Amino acid sequence: MSIRLIELTKRFDGHVVVDRVSLEIEEGELFTLLGGSGSGKSTILRLIAGLLLADGGRIELNGRDVTETPPQERGTGFVFQNYSIFRHMTVADNVEFGLRIRRVAAAERRQRREELLDLVGLTGLGDRYADQLSGGQQQRVALARALAYRPEVLLLDEPFGALDVKIRGQLRRSLKEIQRHLKVTTILVTHDQEEAFELADRVGVIERGHLMEVGTPEDLYHRPQTEFVATFIGGGNVLVGREEEGRIRLGSVLLPMPEKAGEHEAGAPVRVLFRPEKVLLAEGRSSERPGAYTLGRGRLVSQIFAGALSRVALDVQGLEGARPISPSPGYGQRTTRIEALLPSEASTPPLKSGREFWIGLDSYHVLSPSGLKVLVCVDEAPAPQPAVEFGALLARTTGGSTTLLTVVPADAADGVAAGTRDALESLRGAWSGQAPRLDSRVRSGDNTTEILLEAQEGLYEVVVIGQGGRREEEQMTGLGTTARRVLMEAGVPVLVLEESRPQIDRVLICTAAGEPGKTDIRFGGRLARRTGAETTVLHVRPGESTPAGRRRAERHLEQAGAFLGSLGVRSEIKLADGPLVETILAEAKRGDYDLIVIGAPAPRAVQRLRWRDFATSIVSGTERPVLVVPMRE
Amino acid sequence: MSAVTSAAVVRKRRDPRNASVVPVSLLLLVLFPLLLMPLAAIFIFAGRSGLGGLVSALRTPDAQFALRFSLLIAFGTALINAVLGTFAAYVLSKYQFRGREALGVLVNLPVAIPTVVVGTSLLLLWGPIGLLGRLIDPLGIQPMFAPAGVLLAHLFVTFPYMLGAVKPVLDELDVTYEEAAYTIGARRWQTFRFVILPALRGGLFSGTLLTFAHSLGEFGATVLVSGNLRLRTQTAPLYIFAQFEAGNIESANAVAAVLALLSFVLFFVLLRVTRRRPAPGR
Repeated sequence: MSIRLIELTKRFDGHVVVDRVSLEIEEGELFTLLGGSGSGKSTILRLIAGLLLADGGRIELNGRDVTETPPQERGTGFVFQNYSIFRHMTVADNVEFGLRIRRVAAAERRQRREELLDLVGLTGLGDRYADQLSGGQQQRVALARALAYRPEVLLLDEPFGALDVKIRGQLRRSLKEIQRHLKVTTILVTHDQEEAFELADRVGVIERGHLMEVGTPEDLYHRPQTEFVATFIGGGNVLVGREEEGRIRLGSVLLPMPEKAGEHEAGAPVRVLFRPEKVLLAEGRSSERPGAYTLGRGRLVSQIFAGALSRVALDVQGLEGARPISPSPGYGQRTTRIEALLPSEASTPPLKSGREFWIGLDSYHVLSPSGLKVLVCVDEAPAPQPAVEFGALLARTTGGSTTLLTVVPADAADGVAAGTRDALESLRGAWSGQAPRLDSRVRSGDNTTEILLEAQEGLYEVVVIGQGGRREEEQMTGLGTTARRVLMEAGVPVLVLEESRPQIDRVLICTAAGEPGKTDIRFGGRLARRTGAETTVLHVRPGESTPAGRRRAERHLEQAGAFLGSLGVRSEIKLADGPLVETILAEAKRGDYDLIVIGAPAPRAVQRLRWRDFATSIVSGTERPVLVVPMRE
Repeated sequence: MSAVTSAAVVRKRRDPRNASVVPVSLLLLVLFPLLLMPLAAIFIFAGRSGLGGLVSALRTPDAQFALRFSLLIAFGTALINAVLGTFAAYVLSKYQFRGREALGVLVNLPVAIPTVVVGTSLLLLWGPIGLLGRLIDPLGIQPMFAPAGVLLAHLFVTFPYMLGAVKPVLDELDVTYEEAAYTIGARRWQTFRFVILPALRGGLFSGTLLTFAHSLGEFGATVLVSGNLRLRTQTAPLYIFAQFEAGNIESANAVAAVLALLSFVLFFVLLRVTRRRPAPGR
């Protein structure tokens, strides 16, 4: 292993810019770090070179721990975007600088210099000064200078960024040749996807200091694992459907689940990626349908000529229910927008918008099952720590992400909003160590409305609300008005808690209210599986019990146990008689559970009223986290 | 848009050379009595008694001493401040520390303080009854009314010139040059010696010349700290002043002419250097 980064971390002013990046780069590999500006990619390179010191983690070069080593002793060659050729030295002196420092004899220096100038294609230009060279030539000198003393690794920081397109292409090819020839382990940092693909053996995608994914260019383009990479690299259509009996449900369309799609649990969200060039169109009303899979009928919205291809936007009917992630849906858009690339031909005129097509797919790719996407509602006062702590714990143990949300009143002054933003950002900074993917959002408007909107727009899977800061009068009813409304209307599981738990080891799933539920067991099971927790399924029968009712309950519990078993979750079945709320609370206390899952019945008005009392009683009866899962009919 | 174009066209039609005649001659008219005539006067007076008179006026031991002493002090001041100023510029430019801003203002303060005040304050510190001078007087060390005092005053007064010439160059020098040197394997001092210092050449040279020129002409502080002792601490400007007061206009004028000539030479060299200096680090 030539370069090894272990949990590498760097902070600037408390702001995490490189967040526990671990990476191994093989001997002789050309590795590219690809990311947008401010993603932390250059910082990683500077950490490796020793131009910055890490705040955490380790760096190994050829098995040698260099985390604390000064840059002079790391043996790296660094090429900067601005070339940084020493202007008062000739090209020859620049190339020889590293050898001179190492006290290499003059004859040997000269020989090595000539060798390198030949290699980078600058033979005979040794006597020139930097201002007599073009940008491309200067960068070649910089490359020769960095290679002269045979560094262990070569680090290139956006080396072609300041050059024009044509020169960039030439230099890219030279670099690849030279790298192949010398077999020097190389890391190149770039924001240019094309450059990364053309040069790299492997690409690592960086976003907000996280190494999102590492793979060959082909893997990252055709088989990305994460939503970010799928949408960052190339244009892509990403829709979220659901697993349905081994297939993927996208609105009214059913697609087969590819074999390599990773394990999706029953009913779990499935993210489907198809590249624009895989979208096929067939005209007219003919029965002939394009591609291997049919999406449905669609209408052409726009067409943009882009040289060899033309970019086409289509509105597809029949995909309602599948949530579009990319292209991101416009405000109030009902139909699903899809992008396609069509080969452009000189003879055919542009297609008219409004024209209808059958839309099919050549192939598609399913992203890895995602961890839980958690939204934590942060009130300004008092400390929302338990909610943040438990939300982060939930996301971390399931491999998901956390977003902190604060709502400021719409009429708040600018200063208030900015203050809130700062406070939230510092909270994010403080917790970023505990949560791998932590974001923050500030919205303005009515608290409940904005929380519900964010939950819907952001496709979150769990909303966490802390109950630490209840006001006096709210304490009487047990639940804040915001929490109650979010509980009733969110449509996604809502987690209410007063105190956090250090771990999620024991989960109590209550199937008490009305008909034995399915969604709550499914969601609770999924959660338990991800966190590796044990579960107890509790069914409480209030009031009189008939033998038939008992049998039905037992059968339901058996099914629940079998389902959890199929997920690989250890479960215990409990059937109890007694008053609903009290029995559940007693069991929660007895078993010292970390999480209580209760199902919320389908929204029917009468039931809703009764159920509200039930949920409120449970939530106010315990300080433990309570997860309320809305049930589907 | 069209109005602007037509106006431009009209203006263009007039010969631009004719247009500049009035303002340029006005400027010359102002500058002539203000700058050019006084300078010319020195040389006219110097030439009045012939070259022989000038040479003999310069050959008196007092004039000889004053000129040599001035040159020596200017040379020493330039040398010491070249090092000190570069060091100060490096520290102020490369390190982030508390009070950096304050320090930046402080080191530039000598420009703003009247030189006579500088002389007074030096006397109050190092003089025989000064704060520190009182303590070292018994040891036989008397910096004031001695060449050392003159040097101290000149160092003080000219300190900002070196800094002003070097620091902007350092500030503009991209940090990647240093970083490149570090990754290549150069130590901090090697990087300074081989990468930073050569990039500062232009700034260093013009800073040194500027310091030299200012030291050569320094009067206000020198007159106080030197005690104006002939053949001991009398610099050329002090000599000129003293001779004038004594009515020896010819002696004063001869030395003044030499000083003016020296200044001209320095100035033109400086002009050439700053004009030719390549843009550093871009």
